[in-house]
Amino acid sequence: MTDDTDSKSDRSRRQFIKNAGVAAIAMSPLRGLAAPDTDEGISFAAGPRPLVRYPGKRDLILVHSRPPHLETPFSTFNDSVLTPNDAFFVRYHLADFPTSIDPETYRLTVKGQVDSPLSLSLADLKAMARPTEVVAVNQCSGNSRGYSSPRVFGAQLGNGAMGNARWTGISLKTVLEKAGVQANARQVTFNGMDKPVMASTPDYRKALDIELALSAEPMLAWGMNGEDLPFLNGYPLKLIVPGYFGTYWVKHLSEIEVIDHEFDGHDAYFMNKGYRIPDNDCACISPGSTADKTRPIGKLLVRSFITSVMSDEVLPAGRPIELKGLAFDGGTGIKQVEVSPDGGLSWHATNLGEDLGRFSFREWRLPLTFSQKGKTVLMVRATSNGGEEQPMKASWNPAGYMRNVVESTPVVVS
Amino acid sequence: MMKISIAILGLAATFSALPATAEPVEIMLPADTSTLLESSLPGYTIALQKCGICHSADYINFQPPGLSLAQWTAEMGKMQHSYGAPLGEEEINLLGAYLAVTYGSAKATDVDVQALTAAEKASKADSVTDEGAIDVQALLTANACMGCHAIDHRVVGPGFNEVAVKYASEKDAPAKLAASIQRGGAGKWGQVPMPPMSNLSDAQLQALADFVLAQ
Repeated sequence: MTDDTDSKSDRSRRQFIKNAGVAAIAMSPLRGLAAPDTDEGISFAAGPRPLVRYPGKRDLILVHSRPPHLETPFSTFNDSVLTPNDAFFVRYHLADFPTSIDPETYRLTVKGQVDSPLSLSLADLKAMARPTEVVAVNQCSGNSRGYSSPRVFGAQLGNGAMGNARWTGISLKTVLEKAGVQANARQVTFNGMDKPVMASTPDYRKALDIELALSAEPMLAWGMNGEDLPFLNGYPLKLIVPGYFGTYWVKHLSEIEVIDHEFDGHDAYFMNKGYRIPDNDCACISPGSTADKTRPIGKLLVRSFITSVMSDEVLPAGRPIELKGLAFDGGTGIKQVEVSPDGGLSWHATNLGEDLGRFSFREWRLPLTFSQKGKTVLMVRATSNGGEEQPMKASWNPAGYMRNVVESTPVVVS
Repeated sequence: MMKISIAILGLAATFSALPATAEPVEIMLPADTSTLLESSLPGYTIALQKCGICHSADYINFQPPGLSLAQWTAEMGKMQHSYGAPLGEEEINLLGAYLAVTYGSAKATDVDVQALTAAEKASKADSVTDEGAIDVQALLTANACMGCHAIDHRVVGPGFNEVAVKYASEKDAPAKLAASIQRGGAGKWGQVPMPPMSNLSDAQLQALADFVLAQ
């Protein structure tokens, strides 16, 4: 109950800031005064979170400072379908990572169950084959965790731990084939240059089944939206696994190992204990219970958002407005996005924007005129080409992963 | 070789078309200024010293409000058995109590919190009587020093021999080093900060400083 009260008072404070002082705050050196606007409707034990400026980034919401974890302010998603590099969220697990990387001496090692182990420079990778491109959403497994009810431990993220970019690189398959994957290969593991502070802490390593690793989609990317990767997004090379949650998108990628067994041991923690979901259809359990069986988190679920209107905004009556937003899924593409202007009583099909590929954000727009004044709730729901829909009621799991409930935006029409 | 920051590189329109002789890309991370909420509970000094080895205080500050003693204590257990945090059972319970009272739903007057605090006072009183003979090895273990340091080589922090060399020509080296251990800090030896060892007595700090300087 405390949560509700907090978020209401935060909302009205935010509304006051929006109405009274946007220009003044934007001009003022006391930008910190706008800090309450970063809560995204979430309460914290000892908040609020400030806006911070990290290298290569514009002002982003501080989730944690060391190791860095930064969230994209949600209003950014209304500006463009591709998320700008300097606005893209940042998430590290381990505090001992390099702050200086020489692209001349950088090497990617490929080893394990392969015919010819490789040590590849960036130039080798760029010369190995024609670069490929994909527009794909990178979304944190715990995006929106702060809205879990009941609340759970972990980074209390709003909806901004996601982003959509055009990735340029080389197909993982091409590199693995050059090394020559042996017949007994079962999984491929990925390690970046980040390390734990203490040896007793597991390293951050991820594994893909060999079938997925040798499929067409996974990519080793050096380019993001036409520029080199930002340092804090994994310069100089990042594993891109289109359609899969960000946990697999290993940053500062330095080592690929083909193994003949299921990844195990101390450094398999983030596969075998972390980033796991209840092994059932909804990936959910009832709060307070324990999952009998779990599986590694996998593909993105279908989601949609309104980006042009924030909670508690005042919208005009009797005048046409345009609602705008985005939708995405785990790689079948978006078939339809519908909006309800009346809390789910009626639904209107929206117009989908340019198709940048089945792994990308898909923009939608809807012209709308409110005839009645008063409070109402806007809702948005997407259906994927695979037939997947969003649930009306949020499911729950202990780590707060994979939220994809139909989003509601309370507004006032006047 | 000259180093250029990515802020400068970012200005170059031809960034992605830089020639093959690119310079190292270097960033400077902002200092971590987040701090734990103060408390007179014994878990506070443990938190200052142990949590900061691997993460900033805002990992705690930005958790949800209202979590219980059982939830915070279970989370500290996870820090130990999943993430290898150098914590003993008593420390897990004391940390849980500090965090649940300061950030969660528990009260300092709760019976289970008071029982933990009383037990800690009793064991501290015992150890004070032992102050005459300080066991440096036990101190190194209890304070997880060897998680980041080694005697003769660099790990995350400097090797003790490196520290001894640096302080060799300093006047009042033992006192200065003892103060540095107590305060912790960042920037002298690398980007990973050393948390303050604020729970140690003057005699314990001095014994550790003497040990390091002898390497």
